[in-house]
Amino acid sequence: MDLLNQIIRQPIDPDYALAAAAGSEPATRGRWKLGVLAMIIGALFAVAALQTTSAAPALQSERSELISRIQTAEQEQDELRGRVTSLTEDIATLRAAALGDDDAARVVESQISMLDPVVGNVAVTGPGVLIVVDDSPSAAAGARDRVLDIDLQVLANGLWEAGAEAISINGHRLSNLTAIRSAGDAITVDYRSLTRPYRVEAIGDVRTLQARFVESSAGAWWNDLAQNRRMRYEISDVKQLDLAADPGLVLRHAGRAAS
Amino acid sequence: MIPLVGLLAGIVIGIVLEPSIPQVLQPYLPIAIVAAMDALFGAFRAYLEGTFTDRVFIVSFISNVLIAAAIVYVGDQIGVGSQLATGVVVVLGIRIFTNAAAIRRALFHA
Repeated sequence: MDLLNQIIRQPIDPDYALAAAAGSEPATRGRWKLGVLAMIIGALFAVAALQTTSAAPALQSERSELISRIQTAEQEQDELRGRVTSLTEDIATLRAAALGDDDAARVVESQISMLDPVVGNVAVTGPGVLIVVDDSPSAAAGARDRVLDIDLQVLANGLWEAGAEAISINGHRLSNLTAIRSAGDAITVDYRSLTRPYRVEAIGDVRTLQARFVESSAGAWWNDLAQNRRMRYEISDVKQLDLAADPGLVLRHAGRAAS
Repeated sequence: MIPLVGLLAGIVIGIVLEPSIPQVLQPYLPIAIVAAMDALFGAFRAYLEGTFTDRVFIVSFISNVLIAAAIVYVGDQIGVGSQLATGVVVVLGIRIFTNAAAIRRALFHA
């Protein structure tokens, strides 16, 4: 308080009084210095004001341009994914035509149709469980009460372990090549950011899937998160789930089977 | 009269020429301006009280600006730049208000 009092009591430099008491120099001398200094101060004001006013719209336009670029890129990505899906269908048709119609071909076809849904290459439909998870309501307080990428990884691995045949998170089908990780504040699946809440859909045997998941270590992990961190964690059986194919899977290698 | 003309000329020059401040010095510009305002108000009050001296004004202006910028620079180096900038603005702001009140009393007797 003493410091503040002193600032208030002595707001002008005491040197003014001292110099005046000592007898000031002739007023006309050094006036031009004062003028130059005043000019510098004026220029300072003008430059700072100009910079602030010119920086604000530049920042705003930069931001909106970035947003529009992101949206364009996402649109482009969606189009490319759509193209991947249609090309995959083409590949399947061509493959069927190339295989022909003998016994060996039928064996290969049945293997393909058995493996395709498991690796995530085709869209699948069936009964399963739906798990909805979300940050705790008090998540703004800190990162500890938020759903992290590792929580979703544990959830997905637990579902595989419990016998799920196909899993998707917020509509992104998981395959062997799918990465679940954080990027900044968001969790990404297949390099696409997710928005809360997270809907994890898993197709599998409804009679056992949920029970086995709850008993697994992933179930224990999520029980702990729900009870101690108050995260949302709802699990329910669903009669029919439609999971899209993973567009990230592409045909990398093709060759004629040895006959 | 000369200082007032100089101030206006400086503003005009700044607007017309638009000199670009180096990126390194940009954070210190607002602080330097607050220090400059403080020196200006102090000088005007001293002028009204009849104790104004050019030399004291020039020295106090330059040292105020440099010290304010130096405080913020040191703060930036040790990670409390914005807090120290706030401190400088508060202290100089109090002085500006006190001087402005004194100037108002001297000019308008109110």
